[in-house]
Amino acid sequence: MAELTPFGFVAGDSLLHRLDARFKILFLIGLSLTSVRVHFGGLAVLTLALAGVIFYCRLQLKSAYRELRYFLILLTLVFVARVLSTGGAAAISLGAMTVCVSGVTAATLVCWRLAFIVLVGLCFVATTRPVQIKAAIQWLLKPVPLVPEKKVAAMLGLIMRFIPVILNQARQTAEAQKARGIENRKNPVYRLTRLGFPILRRSFECADNLAVAMEARCFNANRTDPELSARRRDWIAAGALACLCVALLIN
Amino acid sequence: MNIIEIENLSHRFGDGTLGLDGIDLDIRQGSFVVIAGPNGSGKTTLLRHFNALLLPTAGCIRLAGVSTVQAPVRARRLVGMVFQDADSQIVGETVYEDVAFGPRNLRLGSGEIERQVAAALETVGLAQIGEKRPHLLSGGEKRRLAIAGVLAMQPRVIVFDEPFSSLDYPGIRQVLKQILALHRSGHTIVVTTHDLEKIIAHADRLILMQRGRVVRDGRPAKVMMEVEKFGVRQPCAVRLGQEVTPWLS
Ligand SMILES: Nc1ncnc2c1ncn2[C@@H]1O[C@H](COP(=O)(O)OP(=O)(O)OP(=O)(O)O)[C@@H](O)[C@H]1O
Ligand SMILES: [Mg+2]
Repeated sequence: MAELTPFGFVAGDSLLHRLDARFKILFLIGLSLTSVRVHFGGLAVLTLALAGVIFYCRLQLKSAYRELRYFLILLTLVFVARVLSTGGAAAISLGAMTVCVSGVTAATLVCWRLAFIVLVGLCFVATTRPVQIKAAIQWLLKPVPLVPEKKVAAMLGLIMRFIPVILNQARQTAEAQKARGIENRKNPVYRLTRLGFPILRRSFECADNLAVAMEARCFNANRTDPELSARRRDWIAAGALACLCVALLIN
Repeated sequence: MNIIEIENLSHRFGDGTLGLDGIDLDIRQGSFVVIAGPNGSGKTTLLRHFNALLLPTAGCIRLAGVSTVQAPVRARRLVGMVFQDADSQIVGETVYEDVAFGPRNLRLGSGEIERQVAAALETVGLAQIGEKRPHLLSGGEKRRLAIAGVLAMQPRVIVFDEPFSSLDYPGIRQVLKQILALHRSGHTIVVTTHDLEKIIAHADRLILMQRGRVVRDGRPAKVMMEVEKFGVRQPCAVRLGQEVTPWLS
């Protein structure tokens, strides 16, 4: 169960930890939107700024490395696909495939943006408690009509709680089946059904136990949420970020 | 005063299994009760009636005079439950958040929540690791975390379902010490087990269950003579005609 959620909150006391979760969500949205609008120059500035913040706050993102490996593989695939699918004057040609300068440029830009957004998201998740994320989402949804914000937020909280349970079930079941030689079976459909059903059954059982435990402690949607309070540092950070984004977008 | 009164309690599960069969039981405030019985004898089913996780299909159970059917939330506040499987009881991302889960559900104020959580963590000796992830704790620490989660809701009765299962020797000692301290501070304690050795020296009442019924009920020294008839192992000392010595001395 230990290394289950490297993608989770890491306790600390840095500036990013102390910022208001609502502001952090808005920063996340603002940075993502800006990053898809700007080009190399702007991205370089954003990336440097982010690196500066990570360094200044001494964030320990090492534990996220394992998860990020898979993301890097995905990024490579995106890069290759992008390069091969962009037309233009060929720089190198290998048989039927051509690689052109504009393709490489476009692919680099796309991958850089993706990597940047993921890194921002990682900083957000690593420095914000799930209860705070939940409270912030609830607050941001409040003015939206027809959305029962407390229920949505409670649902999100439950999902965050259950994902590790399911992942853990999947890993344990897969290991137990490997130990009994499932790898000798070559038929992927057979292997998938053999793996899928026990995982589902055990996840439901686990979720059931968890639900009983939560009920025993009086769980309901109407609970005390952590207080969110905007301080001066939140407004200063928001101002600084807004200036940076606007400056990059105008250029 | 009897804090728990059970009258002719029966519970039939959806599939027709009779989990409990006509139980009559009163538990005195401040007592230390051990419920023993073999697997499937209905111990967990009985405990789940204490805090209204299960409701009687016949008979009734009253907590401090009020039926659990009428006031299930009150029952959950009054009776804290530490589950058989400590892992499935963890609901928070950090030790602190896990303990705060109950008080938040009770809609206490932020300051009050902070005080309760701090006090509960202090009581079980986990105050130093409030920011740790619960899943990284040792078995004994997880069990103590579960106790803290229950304590933060200020219950008057604490029930432990097999508190020593899958714990090593130091883990058992830690948890046992905790249970005894809670009893000393005035809580009513109910513990289920099928292994009497560790806990019986501290109890003032022993109840034996078999197939959903209470088959023996009385002072531990007396009931212990007959436990083997009902599928519970007799502590070695009793067989040798001696008294069981406490695990913590
Ligand atoms: N949800 C359920 N549906 C149907 N039958 C159940 C259910 N839960 C328990 N039972 C049955 O009720 C009986 C009592 O089970 P219970 O879990 O209370 O026993 P126990 O004394 O706690 O056993 P153990 O020592 O194994 O924990 C068993 O025969 C069990 O099969
Ligand atoms: Mg049981």
